[in-house]
Amino acid sequence: MSSPALRLTNLHAGYGDVRVLRGVDLELPVGAIVALIGSNGAGKTTLLRTVSGLLRPTAGTIELGGERIDTLPPHRVVEAGFVQSPEGKQLFTGMTILENLIVGAHTPRARARRAETLEEVFELFPILAERRQSPASALSGGQQQMVAVGRALMALPRVLALDEPSLGLAPIMVDRLFESIARIRQRNLSILIIEQNVFQVLEMADSAYVLENGQISMSGTGEALLKNDHLRETYLGL
Amino acid sequence: MDPLILSFAVVNGVLLGGIYGGVALGLSLIFGVLRVVNFAHGSFLMLSLYIAFWCWSLLGLDPYLSVFVTVPAMFGLGYFVQSVIISPLIRRERALVVEPLSALLLTAGVFLVLDNLALMAFGPNVRAVQVDYYLPSPMLGPIPLNPQRLIGALAAVLVALGLSWWLRHSHMGRAIRATAQNRDAAALSGINVPFVYAVTFGIGCAVLGLFGSLIAPFMPISPSIGVAFGIKSFIVVVLGGLGSIPGCIVGGMVIGVFEAVASQHITATSAAIGSLGLFILILLVRPQGIMGRA
Repeated sequence: MSSPALRLTNLHAGYGDVRVLRGVDLELPVGAIVALIGSNGAGKTTLLRTVSGLLRPTAGTIELGGERIDTLPPHRVVEAGFVQSPEGKQLFTGMTILENLIVGAHTPRARARRAETLEEVFELFPILAERRQSPASALSGGQQQMVAVGRALMALPRVLALDEPSLGLAPIMVDRLFESIARIRQRNLSILIIEQNVFQVLEMADSAYVLENGQISMSGTGEALLKNDHLRETYLGL
Repeated sequence: MDPLILSFAVVNGVLLGGIYGGVALGLSLIFGVLRVVNFAHGSFLMLSLYIAFWCWSLLGLDPYLSVFVTVPAMFGLGYFVQSVIISPLIRRERALVVEPLSALLLTAGVFLVLDNLALMAFGPNVRAVQVDYYLPSPMLGPIPLNPQRLIGALAAVLVALGLSWWLRHSHMGRAIRATAQNRDAAALSGINVPFVYAVTFGIGCAVLGLFGSLIAPFMPISPSIGVAFGIKSFIVVVLGGLGSIPGCIVGGMVIGVFEAVASQHITATSAAIGSLGLFILILLVRPQGIMGRA
């Protein structure tokens, strides 16, 4: 059996004495969309920072396509194929859209086919092609989100992680973004998506994990979780 | 006041100010990217001057040719200081902004060590490079230009233009700008941030290496020469706008012209005090510096 695109085993991490992740197990099959949901402070962003190498795990392992990546520095994690579009977009605001995208293709692997990837990103988000010379700071929230996702795609990820892509977007922009994510999926990319917009993401994801107090409290297919009473009460308010 | 003398002072101030700006470039670049105030900036210039001096006195190398020694040597030293001495501090504060005070204290330590090592090794004597040729003075209308200062000022403008262009258009330059704007986002784009920091620090010091060679022909060299240049560089960088490369040259020229003109009326020492007054005055009106972004 081939190894999953991403596997976290008993992952612990935190800031100083504050333990945020307390034994997370998670598996992302190749080509799947997996959602990670949880309330504020549950540790979702910490989990992505740990996988990206910005934060060192205190225990546990992270495997990308069967290879351990938990001791690699952040730029090597990107080279290995795990790329995230971080929370709050984190664009290079002093640069143009085009420059933001080009910086995304920094690793030698990504740089070698930068022109082709750029065309693909522009095809996915035509508005970015139109406004490529605009400064990133002059964009609307939705367009900034497209730049953030586009920049992550420029690095040629095997696993793409999206941290709260719908945060602060108008509903129509969220629809469009999720359409794009569905299209990105057709490139046989594995996607880990963190969302507060639980209803929509559960419909789209193949499976989902619920993170509570630094531990996985529930997991299953999106459909099954949508029927779960605890989840409906806590996250959907139904 | 006689207009010829005044214009002579202005021209001289522009040339000297250009050199101030060139010397300060590295400080501005390093602060702009690493957010580290390099207190040892002047000491690195002092080392460059000594390298140029020893190249001339031991090897008979013309100070202008010694750039081929000072520039790579200072790049290497800067790379080393960043990756071995300062980097652990930044790594410790990985997810946060570098604590400005701790970086300042650390580089202040580097400054104390370097200046005192130089004092131990070279002694307090003032040394000077003496070249046995005479450079002709080009004329700007009726005003003769000091050739050595002209070379220094031209080099400052060229280096500033070249550096800006390189930062804007090269692969490494883009990575440096990205790292300066958002360290974490740069790392998440696959940029090796510690390497970018070390290269940036190296470039900042290499520019000092260049100016060490260029001002060696007319600068008396002693272990304490760095302090004066270090303080002047701080003023120039803050005045021009922190992290702004063109601002650095402009800031240098403002200080240079002010000092040159003021010293026509008062003693040169008082003029230097006056330039601090001007500095405070400009910052009161424009706290972000002349070309800095608010």
